[in-house]
Amino acid sequence: MVFPDEIKNFLQSLIKAKKNLHLYPDNNPIYIKTLDDLYNRLATLLDSQDDITLTFKQFDIFYNSELVYHNDDKQESLALFFFKDGVREISFKKGIPKEEFEDFMKIISSDFERELVDDDVVTLMWEKDFRFIQYVVDDTILLEDEGYEEMATKQVIASASSEDQILKAYEEAFGIQKAPTINIVPLTNEDLRNIVEQIENEPLDKSDKMLILLFEMLYLADGQAEFEEITDLIKSAIKYAVEHGNLKALIHTLKSIKEITDKKLFPEKLLIILKGVEYFCNSQIIIKSFGNVLDQGIEYDEDLIQELSQVMDSSAIPHFVNILGQLNNISSRRTIIRILSELGKKDIKLLARGMSDRRWYVVRNIIYVLRQIKDRTVMEFLTKALYHPDKRVKKEAIRAVGELGDSSAVQNLRDCLDDEDESVRINAVKAMGRIESPLSRKYLLEYINNSRFNEKSFTEKRELLLALSRYRDREVVETLTRMLKKRSLFKKTKLTETKAAAAFALGVMKEKSAYNLLKRFVNDKNTLLRENAQMAIKRLGDV
Amino acid sequence: MSESKGIELKGKDIVNQLAVMIRTGHFHTLENVAVENAIKRFLEIVNPLFHEEDYIRIDLIGEFFYINDTRIRYPIELLLNFDFLIREFRRRELGTISFVSPLKKEEVKEFLRCFLKAAFSNTPFETLEASLERIDSIQVEKLKQIKEDETIDKRKLVKKTYFNAVSFTRGVINKIRSGEKVSIKKAKRVIESVVDTLLAEESLLIGMTAIKDYDEYTYHHSVNVSILSIAIGQKIGLHRRALTELGLVALFHDIGKMEIPVEVLNKPTAFTEQEWKLVRRHPFWGARTILKLRGFDKTSIQSAIVAFEHHLHYDLSGYPKIRSRIPLDFYTKIVSIADQYDAMTSSRVYSRVPLPPDRALSVMMDRAGSQIDPILFKFFINMVGVYPVGSLVLLDSKEMGLVYECNPLLADRPRVMIIVDERGQRLKKGNVVDLTERDTEGKYLRSIVKTLDPNKYKINLAEYLL
Repeated sequence: MVFPDEIKNFLQSLIKAKKNLHLYPDNNPIYIKTLDDLYNRLATLLDSQDDITLTFKQFDIFYNSELVYHNDDKQESLALFFFKDGVREISFKKGIPKEEFEDFMKIISSDFERELVDDDVVTLMWEKDFRFIQYVVDDTILLEDEGYEEMATKQVIASASSEDQILKAYEEAFGIQKAPTINIVPLTNEDLRNIVEQIENEPLDKSDKMLILLFEMLYLADGQAEFEEITDLIKSAIKYAVEHGNLKALIHTLKSIKEITDKKLFPEKLLIILKGVEYFCNSQIIIKSFGNVLDQGIEYDEDLIQELSQVMDSSAIPHFVNILGQLNNISSRRTIIRILSELGKKDIKLLARGMSDRRWYVVRNIIYVLRQIKDRTVMEFLTKALYHPDKRVKKEAIRAVGELGDSSAVQNLRDCLDDEDESVRINAVKAMGRIESPLSRKYLLEYINNSRFNEKSFTEKRELLLALSRYRDREVVETLTRMLKKRSLFKKTKLTETKAAAAFALGVMKEKSAYNLLKRFVNDKNTLLRENAQMAIKRLGDV
Repeated sequence: MSESKGIELKGKDIVNQLAVMIRTGHFHTLENVAVENAIKRFLEIVNPLFHEEDYIRIDLIGEFFYINDTRIRYPIELLLNFDFLIREFRRRELGTISFVSPLKKEEVKEFLRCFLKAAFSNTPFETLEASLERIDSIQVEKLKQIKEDETIDKRKLVKKTYFNAVSFTRGVINKIRSGEKVSIKKAKRVIESVVDTLLAEESLLIGMTAIKDYDEYTYHHSVNVSILSIAIGQKIGLHRRALTELGLVALFHDIGKMEIPVEVLNKPTAFTEQEWKLVRRHPFWGARTILKLRGFDKTSIQSAIVAFEHHLHYDLSGYPKIRSRIPLDFYTKIVSIADQYDAMTSSRVYSRVPLPPDRALSVMMDRAGSQIDPILFKFFINMVGVYPVGSLVLLDSKEMGLVYECNPLLADRPRVMIIVDERGQRLKKGNVVDLTERDTEGKYLRSIVKTLDPNKYKINLAEYLL
């Protein structure tokens, strides 16, 4: 037998648990322990009897007619929490599984005041269809008019048919012709399959269908005021759809507006109102919502993103640029970059304006987008970025300039060769190599011939000589050969690195005339030089 | 009584395999390999459960099977087998089969033999019970007849649920009219109560939809459509949550009618073309009202879609006229059927002559495939029967009555309330007779020979139901 004091203690633990479960996620150790302890307490109580039944009054809870809880604080009272939704009794049955108890605790731990819950505690319990938790609900709280049933019954009975009419029906019944009966066609397995298919094909989110219907409603609108009302609803529908990750709805809207506008399906003044919807689709609100959805981990297939990029307006570019700096996930940023790489083509200068953003990573991403667009009109912006204070931005800009291959930027790239960061210099060297202009060649040679060249790291020297190797002319070959032959008693390690880099470059050039010279170093005691010479010889052998 | 996960998981398999076994037994001799396999499979499902259960008791209560007190839910794919088994139980007046110890193949085979044979007896249950005496592991109990006072109590509860829903709808519509906020939480609670009542007392609640209150038509109609939609949803296997959603959207399907001027809506004469134009705008207004009132969420979107589409028709030939060739929403297809049926069988201001239920079904049958989904209509007609509740019928016993409760398994044999006896005497609250009752020779005691139009004689079932 369970005593009231035990129930009092259990309820106190339940109230504490309710708070803990609300605060912590369900994988948190505190959540798990709280739930385990409470469940075990309940199971222990149920060891000695088949069920525990609690009855509720406004601020009180009773067990076996004894008061086991009282709290008249409207915010805190557990009794009121149940009572206000009509719960008058709850029973926990012996054998209650932990999952069912956890579901119950999750329900009562919800913050009904703050969270946007459209359900009350009874609905949530009802939906769970508990088997070991039974409850009694007083539905009179739902009644709009308590005397309605009585009134309606009287009213209907008052209009009852007269005896004469019934007897007339009886008399006439024998004279009338027998009506053909309806044949009930039995259901077949095919029918069942069809219904299952229809249920399975029902989309969870019907906002795109709603939008299709709202567009139909535009055609049915009676006058400008109604038309405006529907466009407002369309805006709300789009917001809802995007917040729920439904991009198809957004695409459909933009396409529909385009079709309506192109075909002038409405008078001009209504088209102007509709333009407002288009503007809204490309607005910060929508793009920010889209960003949030992406950060929640929703992924879209390439075709959908491509389609979206094509239907959106260039006015959305600054908003996409903006959220690029706010998104947390790499995959979200990647999606925005994919969009900007397509959408940006509609107004490259507007896109490039994003390079003045104070966040270095935004600028770097925009440069990356510009690289994808491959449009030389952005050279002006890229050249400026070569002087960006952040080296990560600089490097991206250098790569972009190199890929666009515009010789007008060579002078600026040359400036990068003086950068104090090696990785920036290496990138600049690579870019100059790609551009392959006489000016590039000239600057590279000058750089090599500079007395400080020998002091550079092997990697930088190798990249430099590799860039130079693209030019394949006599002077380049001679320079490389000279380097390979060079001897010195000082700074031998650095010199050996230079020679190794030269050997590497000659190999890449497949310069046959250097074969004998390279051969001399294939057994060199310095590993770096030996390996680079061997690699070069191997490349020459492939010729 | 113990309750276990095993029963919950295996319950549907037990009932399904029992049906398969009996079905196979109908077509083959019991020595046939198909029957042997069916028995083998049945044993494989049932016997392992004895590790955790002392016995396995299958009860037929109302339209549902319970195993060890757990109601067995089934996926729609098994619907036909479940229905078949209910029929087989009823044919033998069988209410319960208990397996009290693990079964042997020969015992099940013998049970099957007795079960099949009992169907041909005039006293099928007694024959079955007697023939099973030699099998210790299997016991049977007779199907419990519902006592009249139990029925009355149930009716009271059903009536309360029904009128609560009507009263709530009336309140909601008045609130919307006066621009007040409507509580969706309350609406859900009302519909949940309708769903619960329907799951427990389907026939009685569907019977309540036959009440056609001319003065309160709008509210009754909304609730009736909601009940009939939930009933179709239940028949096709929607889960409780979906049934609530369906009931809720059905309840608000006609909300746009609020915008039709009262003088038009209550006009006693026929509508002019201009007035019809206004009436035909109610789907547009309905969708708009719902979205404006509730904003956008899953339920409001679903409700707005149904409110907009419910007169559009399966082939989109209805109203409002739309440009896109989009298929109707699944819920719309259900609500349209419920709406058409209830509207046709109700007396409305602008259509004063309602059709008798059987005539309405006949009209709808002609519309299946064009105005309404033909397959869902098949479910509907199987649900309400050939003679839906409210049908006025003449019996071969020369009695006249009103169909009081349909029989989902024998569509042409409902329960009928006799209102005029065989001598032509009017009865105030007559007996309710079951048309499945037979005499000692196995012949039905009463059968329907004719249907009449209750509206022609202003006969309202409500006076008998309430």
